[in-house]
Amino acid sequence: MRNPEPVVFIVDDEPAVRDSLTLMIEQAGISVQSFESAQAFLNAYGSDFFGCIILDVQMPEMSGMQLQEELLQRKILLPIIFLTGHGDIPMSVRAIKTGAVDFLTKPVTREKLLTCVRFAFAEAEKRVDEAAHKQNAVACLKKLTQREREVMSLAVQGRSNKEIAACLDISHRTVEIHKSNIMRKTNSINLLDLVRITQESDLGK
Amino acid sequence: MTDELTNLSFRTLFDATVEAKLLVDAAGRIVLANPAAQLLFGYNEDEICEVMVEMLIPARYREKHRRYRALFLDNPKKRTMGDGKALAALCRDGKEILLDINLSPIKTQGQFYVLAGFNVTDQRLKAEEALLASEERLRLAKQAAGLGIFDCDCKNKIIYWDEKMRELWGSSNETMSYKEFLATIHPQDRAARQVAFESAIDTTGHEGFKAEYRIINPANGVERWRWISSIGQVHFKDGRADRLVGVVRDVTEQKNLQKKLQAQRNETENLFKQQVAVRTASAIAHELNQPLTAISAYSEVALHALHQEAFNTDNLKKALEGCVEQAQRAGRSIHELLAFLQKSETETEQLNLNDLIQEALGIARNDGFGGFHQVLSLQENLPAAQGNRLQVQKVLVNLFRNAVEAMRIANVPTSKISVSVQTLAETNMALVVVQDNGSGLDKDMVKYIFDPFFTTKPSGIGMGLSISRALIEANGGQLWLDPDSKAGAKFHFTLPLAL
Repeated sequence: MRNPEPVVFIVDDEPAVRDSLTLMIEQAGISVQSFESAQAFLNAYGSDFFGCIILDVQMPEMSGMQLQEELLQRKILLPIIFLTGHGDIPMSVRAIKTGAVDFLTKPVTREKLLTCVRFAFAEAEKRVDEAAHKQNAVACLKKLTQREREVMSLAVQGRSNKEIAACLDISHRTVEIHKSNIMRKTNSINLLDLVRITQESDLGK
Repeated sequence: MTDELTNLSFRTLFDATVEAKLLVDAAGRIVLANPAAQLLFGYNEDEICEVMVEMLIPARYREKHRRYRALFLDNPKKRTMGDGKALAALCRDGKEILLDINLSPIKTQGQFYVLAGFNVTDQRLKAEEALLASEERLRLAKQAAGLGIFDCDCKNKIIYWDEKMRELWGSSNETMSYKEFLATIHPQDRAARQVAFESAIDTTGHEGFKAEYRIINPANGVERWRWISSIGQVHFKDGRADRLVGVVRDVTEQKNLQKKLQAQRNETENLFKQQVAVRTASAIAHELNQPLTAISAYSEVALHALHQEAFNTDNLKKALEGCVEQAQRAGRSIHELLAFLQKSETETEQLNLNDLIQEALGIARNDGFGGFHQVLSLQENLPAAQGNRLQVQKVLVNLFRNAVEAMRIANVPTSKISVSVQTLAETNMALVVVQDNGSGLDKDMVKYIFDPFFTTKPSGIGMGLSISRALIEANGGQLWLDPDSKAGAKFHFTLPLAL
């Protein structure tokens, strides 16, 4: 599945800032959609939104930080570039720790902003890929029976067939059959592949 | 009548006598005591009769009295006791009283008695006692107040002082010469004390003497400065100051406490000022940052467009229009913000600059910026200036504080602030000049001293002179520094005269 063309979503209550940044980013050949408030963005949001958000920290009603929290809650993966009037260090540290890509101080230069946007696009790509893999892995593991899952969790821990048989009190031969079924259902080529899938699904942790 | 008198008993007469009387037998036993005697010594009849007369004599004189009594029996005749001197007698309550005592021998049928009469000589005693009590009261009051007393002989320049004052000065000499006294005063306080002294001994005015100064106490070989507060009154004789009598008090603790409180107040005020500065600055920053962000972005769009071979004229136009609009908006924001900050209309009134200068000097001293000698050249009959009292006062206090701080940094032995006022007829302005005797201002610094946030003080925020200049200008005057001043910093400001 190919990702759609990435878009920069600008959320800033200041019309002149929205307008000038839109011009600047569009000039670099990147599509822009701008919103005058956090709520306007949330209202317009669709699951096909792909790219990154340039988010003003100080906005009336819902602030940039509050929108970030809301997006985390809704599991919306769009990377965020924060824009702030004056760099408040504790605030920027918190924002970065909770997944913001960067924290830029106004006025921002073209170079810095575009570099950041490109980095954020790459981050978006990565997040979407990770999400797709995870979805795929979860789907694969769903096909397994209860017994097969037990066998798999022991196998990915590096136990031999003999050990698994002893552990689950089944025959060596039965373990072999379960394992072959697991590999087929998850499209895994080898044990390493299986380990990756369980990790991506978050079940192996 | 005569018969009646003859029949009047001895006892009746004895008891009726106003003078206290005792009848004592040859053995020295009291036989009778009249009511006046009972009252005087504080015994009732039963208690006083049949006891030895020595009971009424203080213990230390009893032995002597027995001997004198024996001598009297050898040669009994009417006489006074103690050759006219008052003698001490002991009352029942243990109190001694002084009495004039006369003795008369009486002989009856082989019995021998002595009639003793007592005159209270207490009047003299009471006066003495009252004086002693008054002195004692004064001593206790002085002690309670921690007061030392001095009496300065202005002609011979000798100071007489009491024990407390000697203790404060750490000296055991009974007197001290005026010269020696001056040497004990902190060099920085000598001038101010001298001014107070001279104005007190000035015959034209009749102000009391009032001064605060530090003295050195060489007791225990440890030097320590004590703060002394002194109040006195000059006594004139033949049109000249004769004596200066007054009290001194150690106010070191008070001064230290005051200093501490003042330091705390200054710190709080500084903190507050800093907060105001920070708030104002961030309000300005916020107002400017948005348009600046837009201008920066628009400009880069324009610049980038120009670098491209086939640039989009529409975008370029849009970007430049945006620049202009946002720059205009930034300017408007600043004007609005300033208008908001200065929204209170300055209320002016007619000002007596002479009084205002005196007040401001007082405020500076109270705020912990004292310790300087002031030289005022005020102008009599100065026409009133027009301005806002508080603002002009603030500027003066600020200039005085700066001067004191500068002189403290320069460690000037005798800090001096000169203030002069004059009228400039041609411009219809009043001119005030404030000069200190610190080390003056560096040529390089002069350019910046009126800039906001320029400061040479570690805890300053550099708004004082910048605000002062703004305040004077708001009142229609000007504030500047005399760049050619040789000694210390010299500030000038003008204010319009009231029409």
